[in-house]
Amino acid sequence: MATTTATITISSTDLLTDELALSTTATLTAAGNSTGLVGSGGLGRKRLASGHAQYVLFDGDAYANGAHKIYLKNTSTTAAEYFTIEINSEQMGKLYAGDWAFFPWEANADTNDIKIDPSADDMVLEYMILIDE
Amino acid sequence: MATTTAAVTLTSDLLSDNISVNASTTCMKAGTTADGLDQIEYGYVEIASGTAYDIIGNTPTASKASKLYVKNHSTDETYYISVVLDAQAIGRLYGGDWMFIPANFHDANADVEITATGGTNKIEYALFHEGTVLVAS
Repeated sequence: MATTTATITISSTDLLTDELALSTTATLTAAGNSTGLVGSGGLGRKRLASGHAQYVLFDGDAYANGAHKIYLKNTSTTAAEYFTIEINSEQMGKLYAGDWAFFPWEANADTNDIKIDPSADDMVLEYMILIDE
Repeated sequence: MATTTAAVTLTSDLLSDNISVNASTTCMKAGTTADGLDQIEYGYVEIASGTAYDIIGNTPTASKASKLYVKNHSTDETYYISVVLDAQAIGRLYGGDWMFIPANFHDANADVEITATGGTNKIEYALFHEGTVLVAS
């Protein structure tokens, strides 16, 4: 069985009086059991040229309902450039230059697509899906 | 300026070429490299099965670069919380899982709601933001 782990570390020495040092690791498994995730779309990279507004990155119709995990990173170095992340038609948030996101995706409906909308031309998104098959 | 960094490491032997992804970001206010997110809501709650709960009690202003971290500390692999954004399902955080997302709370309905299933789920959350607007009662 494959083993896939995701570790996050959040740290700050000056946000609070007490130093913030948060770190945790999750071993990624299928829904409701201890079997490791068995699928991956691999690490991808996509340049969104002019006319690619609201690009469907992952189509809800193409995945079964499950404990999928999504990784996204905006590789831009221009601070004002962002990708708007949407699920179906609901805006999750804006991924600014250098920012990354990692979240579960249920794909519980055909319309539950993950869409990205770049704020400028020629922005590059790095992405990966870990699949609960 | 507060400096808060968030780093992720993904590792896997799913592929012949082992996956080893590392990314780190300094959490900045929207569209700037000069000013970091300087406010935080940080909490821990236990949510009984079947209970729906708005994890954020007030609404940050729109078009911001807030970051939301949520972890399910439950140790039972069948326990999970459903994470919903304005009635739109995002996904389920099973025991031990975590998530880190941008959250700009673009309108008053864009609350992040979690619903517990399986038993009492133990949830840690942190919102890094640059200001909030109190929700009218």
